[in-house]
Amino acid sequence: MKILTTVKKVVDVELNIHVKDGAIVEDGLQYVINAWDENAVETTVQLKEQTGAETTLVSIGGGDNTDIIRRCYAMGIERGIHIEDPALDKADSFIYARVLQKVFEQGDYDLVITGKQAQDTDNGQTGIILAEYLGLPCVSNVIGVEVIDDKHLKVSRAGDAGTEIVEVELPAVITVDVSINEPRLPQMRGLMMAKKKKIEVMDLAALGTSAEEIGCAAPKSEVIEFMESEKRSGGRKFEGDPAEVTAQVVELLASEAKVI
Amino acid sequence: MAKVLVVAEIKQGVLKSSTAELLSKAKAIGAEAAVVAIGSNIEGLVPELVKAGSDTQYIADDAGLELFSAGPYAACVVDAARQFGADLILFGFSESSKAAAPRVAAQLDAACASEITEVAADNGAFQVVRPAITNKVVQKVKVNTDKLVAVVRAGAFEADESIGGTENVVKLDIPAPDLKAVIKELVSDASGEIDLADADVVVSVGRGARNEEGIALVKELADDLNAGFGSSRAMVDAGFMPHNKQVGQTGKIVAPSLYIAVGISGAIQHLAGMSGSKVVLAINKDPEAPIFNIADYGIVGDLFEVVPILKEELKKVRS
Repeated sequence: MKILTTVKKVVDVELNIHVKDGAIVEDGLQYVINAWDENAVETTVQLKEQTGAETTLVSIGGGDNTDIIRRCYAMGIERGIHIEDPALDKADSFIYARVLQKVFEQGDYDLVITGKQAQDTDNGQTGIILAEYLGLPCVSNVIGVEVIDDKHLKVSRAGDAGTEIVEVELPAVITVDVSINEPRLPQMRGLMMAKKKKIEVMDLAALGTSAEEIGCAAPKSEVIEFMESEKRSGGRKFEGDPAEVTAQVVELLASEAKVI
Repeated sequence: MAKVLVVAEIKQGVLKSSTAELLSKAKAIGAEAAVVAIGSNIEGLVPELVKAGSDTQYIADDAGLELFSAGPYAACVVDAARQFGADLILFGFSESSKAAAPRVAAQLDAACASEITEVAADNGAFQVVRPAITNKVVQKVKVNTDKLVAVVRAGAFEADESIGGTENVVKLDIPAPDLKAVIKELVSDASGEIDLADADVVVSVGRGARNEEGIALVKELADDLNAGFGSSRAMVDAGFMPHNKQVGQTGKIVAPSLYIAVGISGAIQHLAGMSGSKVVLAINKDPEAPIFNIADYGIVGDLFEVVPILKEELKKVRS
């Protein structure tokens, strides 16, 4: 089995993010591997351990992605491709999917694993659109994967009515949720070894395509302004005798907030 | 005039409130509004779909559509969108919608926007507003195509009871099943329970409840209030709570009148799923827990002590 796994470098959401004049203030931001993609990498490495699958990761944009790709190498990924091209600066999910389609078509892959969304845009579209472009089956929001045979996986999907057990024929695309696994921490030795491994950096031309073919000049949508989100401010905090403060809060829920 | 197609949200045969909310929004922006309903044994819902504000009802009713499968589901929406000539296709907020909307957009060569809280048509060009970066910022997004597919964040729009529609049923052809992604089984843990997405009160349990005993205690509080019962991610990962109860960025987005967070510290991923609630009550024994920074009312105390008292006090007030 040959697996292609996507990884995006995104802003660290645990740090404060500020907006000024309609744009995000870059100062003080840090960039990390997208949380869901880390689960995608872990899923990939587990499948490699079970089946001897060949593993390739691809990352689009993000500037210098050496750190996150090395981290994935240290987790067990064998090959890393980084697509970097100024034409992709305004890429939307559809453009990312077109680029991934090119990568897929060059590699004879059986399975694409992506995180179900990226924590910078929270769109959750790219993997699903990629499957549409490739005409492949797709299962999104996956929380479990089992290999049935060379051509079939049994995946669990967190759906609205419960957990759906889906048998999917390969080649296929799956997008994984964070609850699928606990990504392993790269070990020091792995990180040292990773430094020696090559990262294949390509622009669109090296990928055998062009900004025109991908449609880079015409994103279907673009962010024109960022705003601060409305912050809920904390109200009152009640400490003291549990019976007393609880009675007080219930009284306020009824008389002041009028929600009970 | 813009044409808006709303994808009806149907769970276990019941039409969900998001359908009327989205149809009301469609009419509020001056659009002609149609609805597409997909499922099994749903023809009886037509009067409700009309009352909710639709002027055309595209119906795909087949036993094979009982379980959600993104391929056939998207095919029905695409069929209805083409027949209607829809400019804007609105989905309610659900896992099914999140799976189907990008497919529909790709097939119609439309733009796709997830989790929107506002949509406006400005000279025929759509603009949407949506949270991003785990709810830390809000984006205004300009749509460059003439068609847009959008998933609307839970609670973003209100239903206008005064609007109505007209009955004009169009039956859709039933698409072939997806033979390459076959649902073998549905492990359901949601039947007979109050749906988190439309509950007026939600009680959620976190790590502070420690074990089954703690969860049972918090569940009693939820039952007393006729509330939806949710969970933090920690309790799901620990195997104490089912996945579909998880409130947060990666789970359910809720916006009830009252949200009660019991033993939940308040990681940003959890806050992203419930910060649209009207009133938040938090119970946590750590006075520094981040949940208190966003709670309207916070009780600092051991939930095993506070919850039984809270149950009694609520009973007094409500009787």
